[in-house]
Amino acid sequence: MSGTADEAGGIGEPSHGMVTAGCGERCQRALEQLEAYLDGELPEAAVGDVREHLADCYPCTDRATFEEQLRAIVRRDCLDEAPPQLLDRIRAHLRDDVSTA
Amino acid sequence: MRQRLGDHERRERFEDEVLPHLDRLYSAAMRYTRDPTDAQDLVQETVAKAYRSFHQYRPGTNLKAWLYRILHTTYISMYRKAQRRPQESLQDEIDDFSFYDAVARPDTGSAEHAVLEALTSEQIKQAMADLPESFRMAVYLADVEGFAYKEIAEIMDTPVGTVMSRLHRGRKALQKALATYAASRGLIRDAEGSVEDPRDEQVER
Repeated sequence: MSGTADEAGGIGEPSHGMVTAGCGERCQRALEQLEAYLDGELPEAAVGDVREHLADCYPCTDRATFEEQLRAIVRRDCLDEAPPQLLDRIRAHLRDDVSTA
Repeated sequence: MRQRLGDHERRERFEDEVLPHLDRLYSAAMRYTRDPTDAQDLVQETVAKAYRSFHQYRPGTNLKAWLYRILHTTYISMYRKAQRRPQESLQDEIDDFSFYDAVARPDTGSAEHAVLEALTSEQIKQAMADLPESFRMAVYLADVEGFAYKEIAEIMDTPVGTVMSRLHRGRKALQKALATYAASRGLIRDAEGSVEDPRDEQVER
């Protein structure tokens, strides 16, 4: 496997900065936009390029999948159920509010 | 008579529309206050305020965002009133951190997904709780509630650019904390995810 990593990025210089080994310029451009892409905040005109790149580039897809999975885990673990007595307290409070209004 | 019927209907409509959001509001309040008692107080006060200003809510607009805006301002007035807090920050180096790079190094041999799944719910919650407040809120509102940048900006009353920056840095800090937990359990070798780490070069060549 080693030595073939650059093929994944297609064109461009070897990696530097924020980009992983194996990534070229196209990867760099896609990864710069990945956060906004995953947030659904990328302008419509830019979405296609990122999507196309992800379809072509396994390392970038793998990274995007990891980021998505991490968000899904955070979402799953940061949800709590309200204690039943809280709902009771709130309902009682709303009824009082109405009767004294 | 008509007026009383109106009150009754108003309360029923409020209960029908708002109370289904209670679990979500409580989850948010838990992340905000990090304490079950405070979280219950915050939700109760939020719902009471929402009820009093329910006439200002325009049907068809985003009820959830409206409720979160009230939750946010209520939190600030209840828990931050007298406090003048220093500007919150995260280390500059956090921008370069990537959990993925820490997990996906050639020498770890762990499946990335397995590392994520091995983190406990308590660790995720703790990592979130340890984020500075404004970063914690931005990450929660985006990643758990799925609000758009613009909605988060309205809820937190900050410019969209500030939201994006808090979100980016908050996520990185969360990843760093999780990588530290993963490293402490031997799931990854260490919590260094920056690709500028010279060891990357050594492994490759």
